[in-house]
Amino acid sequence: MAAVRTPSEKALNRLAIAAVIVITLIFLAPIYWITATAFKPRNLATTAPPTIVFQPEISPFVKLFTKRSQLREPPSAEVYAAAPWWERMVFDGGEKVVRDGKGQVQLSGYPSRFMNSLIIAITSTILAVSMGTLTAYGFSRFRVKGEADLLFFILSTRMLPPVVVAIPMFLMYRAVGLNDTHWGLILLYTAFNLSFSVWLMKGFIDEIPKEYEEAALVDGYTRMEAFFKIVLPEAATGIAATAVFCFITAWNEYAFALIMTNRRAQTAPPFIPSQVGSGLPDWTVIAAGTVLFLLPVAIFTFLLRNHLLRGMSFGAIRK
Amino acid sequence: MLATAIMTSLNSQSRAASRGMSDIKIRNLFIIPTILFLIVFNIFPLIYSLGYSFTDFRASTNAPANFVGLQNYRELLNDPFIWTNFAITAKYVIVSVTGQVLVGFGTAMLLNRDIPFKGLLTTLLLLPMMLSMAVVGLFWKLLYDPSFGIINYALGLGSFEWLSNPQMALYAVAITDIWMWSPFVMLLSLAGLSAVPKHLYEAAAIDRAGPFYTFFRITLPLVAPILMIAIIFRTMEAFKTFDIAYILTSQPTTEVISIRLYKMAFQEWQTGRSCALAYIVLVMVLAITNIYVKYLNKVKER
Amino acid sequence: MRKKVTGLLAGISLMFACGTTVQAQELTIFWAEWDPANYLQELVNEYEAETGVKVTVETTPWQDFQTKAFTEFNAKGSAYDMVVGDSQWIGAASEAGHYVDLTDFFNKHKLNEVMAPATVKYYSEYPSNSGKYWSIPAEGDAVGWSYRKDWFEDPKEMEAFKAKYGYDLAPPKTWKEMRDIAEFFHRPDEKRYGIAIYTDNSYDGLVMGVENAIFSFGGELGDYATYKVDGIINSDQNVKALEAYRELYGFTPPGWAKSFFVENNQAITENLAAMSMNYFAFFPALVNEASNPNAKVTGFFANPAGPGGDQFAALGGQGISIVSYSENQEEAMKFLEWFIKDETQKRWAELGGYTASAKVLESPEFQNATPYNKAFYETMFKVKDFWAAPEYAELLIQMNQRIYPYVTAGQGTAKEALDGLAEDWNNTFKKYGRTN
Repeated sequence: MAAVRTPSEKALNRLAIAAVIVITLIFLAPIYWITATAFKPRNLATTAPPTIVFQPEISPFVKLFTKRSQLREPPSAEVYAAAPWWERMVFDGGEKVVRDGKGQVQLSGYPSRFMNSLIIAITSTILAVSMGTLTAYGFSRFRVKGEADLLFFILSTRMLPPVVVAIPMFLMYRAVGLNDTHWGLILLYTAFNLSFSVWLMKGFIDEIPKEYEEAALVDGYTRMEAFFKIVLPEAATGIAATAVFCFITAWNEYAFALIMTNRRAQTAPPFIPSQVGSGLPDWTVIAAGTVLFLLPVAIFTFLLRNHLLRGMSFGAIRK
Repeated sequence: MLATAIMTSLNSQSRAASRGMSDIKIRNLFIIPTILFLIVFNIFPLIYSLGYSFTDFRASTNAPANFVGLQNYRELLNDPFIWTNFAITAKYVIVSVTGQVLVGFGTAMLLNRDIPFKGLLTTLLLLPMMLSMAVVGLFWKLLYDPSFGIINYALGLGSFEWLSNPQMALYAVAITDIWMWSPFVMLLSLAGLSAVPKHLYEAAAIDRAGPFYTFFRITLPLVAPILMIAIIFRTMEAFKTFDIAYILTSQPTTEVISIRLYKMAFQEWQTGRSCALAYIVLVMVLAITNIYVKYLNKVKER
Repeated sequence: MRKKVTGLLAGISLMFACGTTVQAQELTIFWAEWDPANYLQELVNEYEAETGVKVTVETTPWQDFQTKAFTEFNAKGSAYDMVVGDSQWIGAASEAGHYVDLTDFFNKHKLNEVMAPATVKYYSEYPSNSGKYWSIPAEGDAVGWSYRKDWFEDPKEMEAFKAKYGYDLAPPKTWKEMRDIAEFFHRPDEKRYGIAIYTDNSYDGLVMGVENAIFSFGGELGDYATYKVDGIINSDQNVKALEAYRELYGFTPPGWAKSFFVENNQAITENLAAMSMNYFAFFPALVNEASNPNAKVTGFFANPAGPGGDQFAALGGQGISIVSYSENQEEAMKFLEWFIKDETQKRWAELGGYTASAKVLESPEFQNATPYNKAFYETMFKVKDFWAAPEYAELLIQMNQRIYPYVTAGQGTAKEALDGLAEDWNNTFKKYGRTN
């Protein structure tokens, strides 16, 4: 971070701030549009020209959590009057809530899938980041026979198009009983993310001067202690960045989640666009599902922001 | 799994035991589980695909797979449609990755200053890549729509056709991809940039070095290793692009190789043939990545 | 680190808590995510109330439906007991043994008399005229049209139309009239356009659209018994039909080169087009004011006749089949016995499902239940479908590749496109040993 001194640099800095703000606004515009759609009444989601000013509603979120079906005509006045507020919102959108054989309101798949997504993404991120960090350290600090080839092998595991991996993976999972289980997806996503995790962490650990640990070893630390107490804290930025990326990948994975799961371990990404199947897709519900689904990753990233920004903190003493 | 077991054991009692652990033991403990794990997860799909790529197998039928030798490869490599798909993919990768590097690295350069609310701004800038590809495809199709879309409305483009125009469609898909993944390049570049020691800039200032000299001689070489990693991963992903292109347009001019592969594998169920095509793709990506990695190593040695 | 380990343990324990055991008295039906699947869920909820057997309709987005279903079949998966599968699948699924043979069930209940003939022919029987049945017609569907009554009935428009074309403005009876009306209402300056048609080539959208032209122009895709295509798919009628479709594309709203059922319904609700092609299954959303502000002024008509007076439409819809890998086949059979009962079919229609039961279709209650049911009834007796051979997907992709550039970008001529297609199809049939 260059300190600002001269007036021309000050002006330059102001220009940079303005540019960053403009870029941020451009990047956020589509997100804003999605968020706005999540609060629109159904008939304002796709209008020509687009609707910009509107009265926000929470009906898309009510619909997101309930199983609904299209109505051909509005409900009778009595039915409408007797309905609770949230059910009226569904009626207002031209739909009704589906009830099961016992008359209970049926929930949509969203809440349970959301929970599955959380379990699977969090666990696989922890696995991928911890294994990746250890492996990266191993490669970075020790002499490994055929290091370049091994690293390239690790990288190559991400090169085969997923479309082709899907069928053999599906057969393999079926054979060992991992299909439609949480562990199945967790292991799969860990495998996806490992190559990235190893490579990125190696990039960061390579930059941490060996002298740090050597000094610690001289002070009587074991290698393990030196790793955990000296290297890991120094690699915090790398760990944070890797964790953010791994979490995002696992959180949003679509193709395998679709193919490998049926009922128990389904995650949310394949559910969100499913509203498109209805004769008039309810874009507000798709947007609501998207916005809620964005929250955990956004919060996770925001909490790690200071680590992300600290950069490679050892920079000052770099050779 | 093993890795967590190690951590648990390290946390409490066994510190004394680990004191004696040799470097070689540690190295093996750290590396071997990952390698084994990746072998288990990749070797079966790799062998399966390779094996079937020499047959006329169709997963959708009960007919036995017949060995056809190199026929699948020969037919694919002689199919002009496939080469068109590859050409489209190449163009797409170049446009999209270049765009991401320019936008992402440029934004990182700007952010690497005294900017208020830097943490918040960075988090906000990262939002696009946190969305799922399928959702991005769906919403960008709406954004680009000449009638309902906000893009034409905001830019006053009337009924300009982004996705229905065969010449424009690929760029429209690339713009979406750049929007989504520039933040990835930005974040990694930012981590690299903030590591550039201040005293190097000060020295350059004393030498009255111009901004170009400072950038090309100090900033870029020091950021290059981490930027290269970002480029390697973005290239690999761009080569495999599927969802965004598939959802956004129907144009033959945007049929990247993954779409062709998807149709072959999951609509036509020509399993053998699609395995062969996957191997052709794999070899290409391997070759490209290899060049990158060589370059990365060279950059690091400097 | 300790925090991470605790987190992991918490995750694991949650996982065990989430795993539920599957009860014996449960059936799962797999279908795509759309309104009829929701109606079916409501219907089977009544089955549960009656018998205590819990039936779940599992759904997946349309674009992934085929992928997901066949991945499951090909791995001999038992996750689904029944599937409501597309009519084109029947060849692939029956030849590979994914579906249970329902011929005895079919004959016992005389379903070929109970269900509308076209649905039996296209949803259930494979190969053609073999007398072997693989599914029970469940959701009848075909392509129909919606239109803007207010635009059509505006006196000023009627006068102007008559002056220009010499006959009265009314829902078109022929493709020629449809073309005229589309041209008449196509006014890009007013942001109003003539017509919305299918153009999406990622699966069967565009092909279904073009089929409406081909079948009404008196054409065929080929001889489904002998696999002869030369002179049939590239016949003169078909060339004219494809040209007519290309001409209609000129009257579509801007950016119409990837449109399917979603976009076409939006063309009506958002005041973009005067007429819009769509499957009948997607019409319920158009008659409710809450979802379509123009509901009161939206009308419907059946696919118009071609120049020779032929009038056919492209078939959609699905039959329900039992998956051969299901562990609950007997229970599934019992469910089907219930499903084909007259009362059930009547209830199915009331809930919004498109029954294939001829008796229900012919009843006045059904025909008057919605503004489009009559058009649906008329259409269901004159429908034709795509190839159902196991290699249908290749045929579909080849057709997309040949006709999409012509229809949406005017590349080449209709004759060239169809000649090329005939050659592709011939090669494909040769490859699979259907012809010599």
